[in-house]
Amino acid sequence: MNLLEVTDLRVSFPTSDGLVQAVRGVSFRVDRGQTLGIVGESGSGKTVCTQTLLGLTPGADVSGRAMFGDVNLITLSADQMRHIRGAQIAAIFQDPLTSLHPLYRVGWQISEMIRAHDRSVTKAQAHQRAVDLLTQVGIPQAAKRADDYPHQFSGGMRQRAMIAMALALNPKLIIADEPTTALDATVQAQILDLLVRLQREHETALIMITHDLGVIADFADDVMVMYAGRAAEYSDRRTLFYRSHHPYTKGLLESIPGSTGATDRLRPIPGQPPSLINVPSGCAFHPRCQYVMDRCIDEMPTLITLPSDGGGHRSACWLPPRATGLGADAEEIRQEAVTMNRTERAKAIAESSAASADARGNVA
Amino acid sequence: MNAVSASAGGGAFPDSGTAGGDVLLSLDNVVKYYPVRVGVVIKREVAAVKAVDGVDLEIRRGETLGLVGETGCGKSTLARCIAGLHPVTSGRITFDGDDITNLSRRKMRPFRRDIQMIFQDPYGSLNPRRRVGSIIGDPFSVHNIASGEERKRRVQELMELVGLNPEHYNRFPAEFSGGQRQRIGVARALALRPKLIICDEPVSALDVSIQAQILNLLEDLQSDFGLTYVFIAHDLSVVRHVSDRVAVMYLGRIAELGHRADVYDSARHPYTNALLSAAPAADPDEAAARQRIILVGDVPSPLAPPSGCRFHPRCPKAEEICGKTDPVLEVKPGDPETHRTACHFPVGRGEDLARAADALRADAEPTLG
Repeated sequence: MNLLEVTDLRVSFPTSDGLVQAVRGVSFRVDRGQTLGIVGESGSGKTVCTQTLLGLTPGADVSGRAMFGDVNLITLSADQMRHIRGAQIAAIFQDPLTSLHPLYRVGWQISEMIRAHDRSVTKAQAHQRAVDLLTQVGIPQAAKRADDYPHQFSGGMRQRAMIAMALALNPKLIIADEPTTALDATVQAQILDLLVRLQREHETALIMITHDLGVIADFADDVMVMYAGRAAEYSDRRTLFYRSHHPYTKGLLESIPGSTGATDRLRPIPGQPPSLINVPSGCAFHPRCQYVMDRCIDEMPTLITLPSDGGGHRSACWLPPRATGLGADAEEIRQEAVTMNRTERAKAIAESSAASADARGNVA
Repeated sequence: MNAVSASAGGGAFPDSGTAGGDVLLSLDNVVKYYPVRVGVVIKREVAAVKAVDGVDLEIRRGETLGLVGETGCGKSTLARCIAGLHPVTSGRITFDGDDITNLSRRKMRPFRRDIQMIFQDPYGSLNPRRRVGSIIGDPFSVHNIASGEERKRRVQELMELVGLNPEHYNRFPAEFSGGQRQRIGVARALALRPKLIICDEPVSALDVSIQAQILNLLEDLQSDFGLTYVFIAHDLSVVRHVSDRVAVMYLGRIAELGHRADVYDSARHPYTNALLSAAPAADPDEAAARQRIILVGDVPSPLAPPSGCRFHPRCPKAEEICGKTDPVLEVKPGDPETHRTACHFPVGRGEDLARAADALRADAEPTLG
């Protein structure tokens, strides 16, 4: 069953420098109990995308549809949104220190959130529920620690408290925005383990936003890779790691040490992520793409279904649909397509990006 | 000393690229405590943060030594002690045959040319009000090496060397992206042709695609100039990629030390095992095949580290002796000479720590049961 279906979401911010097109037409869906990973670098629009769903992007121009059950989240008033946010859709952010109020006790913050949505709950009941939740997320001596202030918690414990708060009202969907980025590796493992376990118990859907492909390799059902405000590739997790189609995904996999695409010498993606005020024409990735062809410069590719992978694999790239994976045969198909579809114009772009692909030559 | 040029490789630096040469830097029982003082007029010392608590380490010429560990394990403090930015509480630091422990400012000066640092935050480590050319040229003026046109020429050579456009000499840091700023930091560290560069989380603040660019740059510079790196990072796959040898730190001590392959493929310390199993792998099959060892709780405070082995309260293998006797960093039976572990009960090949860890955790977190 579809829990959330987002269609052609566009978000832009008017600024004095021009219109920042943070999200430029993104569609995705999340089913009940499912995990969607959204991966992208800084400025790819992954955070704006989900904050818009929560009504947290004031001042932005938003269009598109986001059907959560039978309500369109985009058109809700601030007041209507307040009833959904927290109760039905909860959020966990990157930095637990800034998301907890420093002057209130942790237990109070959780019980207040429960009471804000349901005034019939007494203070004592809400407090007991807060203690139960803190126990559930693995805070030792929760009854005592509920009276602590956030600064008395360690980073991992604060994130546990945030998870407790997110779970407080049994939401249908949790949006976790880089929930473990600020944490150490062993604590990150604890938190991810906890999040996945609780998600299974409660059948909650989860949208996990991250820049780290490693975080989602383990448990996301579907993954959407974002670049410059659009989806570059969208597929199930295994397909993405082993049969990726978009050169940007391939580039990411090849630049992470220890990933499926890594070699002895890392192959970085040349250049810098684009400005969202002057987004490159055609495919936004074309100035950095080693396979740039003529049509990439003028025509913007949309997500098309790749028939070879059972219908669930979509990519926004003009390369032939058969060119999936990191193997030699796929590379051959790509090279062939590139030779046939490249004239001087695309060649010049490819050459300048290749020259800067050398680690030394990243001259801007 | 020659001007820095892109072509300078090989000849001028006979040691270039050969890992495992003679010892360039050695640390002998280095201790660094930060006193905690209370009182307004008369300050009493009530406690000490034991940031680094007895570290012995040798760094060989031309190698990259990776230093890994979690927040608060003392890896950055150790780096700052090596660079002479913090005086050590006790112990000895020897650089290229000279004792450089707690030298006076004046006596330290010549060594500062040889030991440079690259910092984590490319935003915080560059003065936003100064032009890039003058930032990179600072080392020349501090050490009275070149001035005027000569300095400008050298700075521009450095900029080219690290992949920046030399024409951007007069720009401000704000006009550069994160990756480019990190290149500025690299150029500044390289200016005086140091022997040792300490890289403190040089790529953690960067996006993955940019991270790879900087890692490749550091690798190229090492082979061109025969540099020795101490590479600090919390990202284990990055450390694995760059390091020849790896030291794993926990609460101010070295838990395990060895060649990259030994530490990553046959780790003996339970903490190393847990750390490795916790690191996210960007490979679903590998992630699925892996037994995650999930530890109990957080790293204890370095104000009052646990007795005996510092890891024992979280260790799935801990026994009575672990809380009493401090384990020595030594070669364990069956390991090569270069692989040393500080543990009473080192992990054997194929041992299942994950289950023991879960049992320990079930005691601590009742809901898991």
